[in-house]
Amino acid sequence: MSDRVYEILFIADPNLGEPEVDTLTAHIQGYVEKEGGRIQKVEKWGKKRLAYVIGRHREGSYVLIVAEGQASLVKEVERRIRVTDGVVKFMTVRVDDELRKAERRRARRAAEDEKRRGRTSERAAAPAEGGEGVPL
Amino acid sequence: MSFGGGGFRGGGGRGGAKPAGDRGGRGGKDAKDAGKRYFFRRRKVCKFCADKIDYVDYKDVKLLSSFVPERGKILPRRMFGTCAEHQRKLTLAIKRARNIALLPFAAE
Repeated sequence: MSDRVYEILFIADPNLGEPEVDTLTAHIQGYVEKEGGRIQKVEKWGKKRLAYVIGRHREGSYVLIVAEGQASLVKEVERRIRVTDGVVKFMTVRVDDELRKAERRRARRAAEDEKRRGRTSERAAAPAEGGEGVPL
Repeated sequence: MSFGGGGFRGGGGRGGAKPAGDRGGRGGKDAKDAGKRYFFRRRKVCKFCADKIDYVDYKDVKLLSSFVPERGKILPRRMFGTCAEHQRKLTLAIKRARNIALLPFAAE
């Protein structure tokens, strides 16, 4: 079975310093790799205000990890995140299906645009050629 | 049993929703041509179709928040003119964003 792409977005405790957030991120990356996942991207969004209060926190440091792996990876990684200190909240979303669909739609639209452009340019070219032959 | 009233109520509910759909004022100007109930309304086009956004990303708070009023509610399609397909995707994206505290469930 082919691997799936997951986005693991978690909110780290805002009281943690930059280096602590980095080590926390490294830990979670380690969980993913241990389960045979490959890290595609890690994005640190920095401290952001939360839209609502989570366990007395009004803000949090967001970190996004995009990883590729089997479905079993999510289960284990989530279990480990749950027992990790310093993570206020996390969410895992599978994105490969939706991204693939979006990509397909984009490709189809590009093809259609190309077709349309080809037709109009033909039409534009044809009278120009004819125009030369017709004396006015 | 026949006075159940359910049918009548149902109609009332729909009527109640109507003012929400009205955009723009029923200002003093409109009041002049009394009998006419028409007022100019711009034809709404789905923003996602117009901007060719294929994937509605839950991480794009800036985009999502333009579809969420202050109260934090997800509004019906008629308010923003999004097409059915994009409204579905938008709804899902908003719910995901709420889950991770990027958007509020309700105003504080």
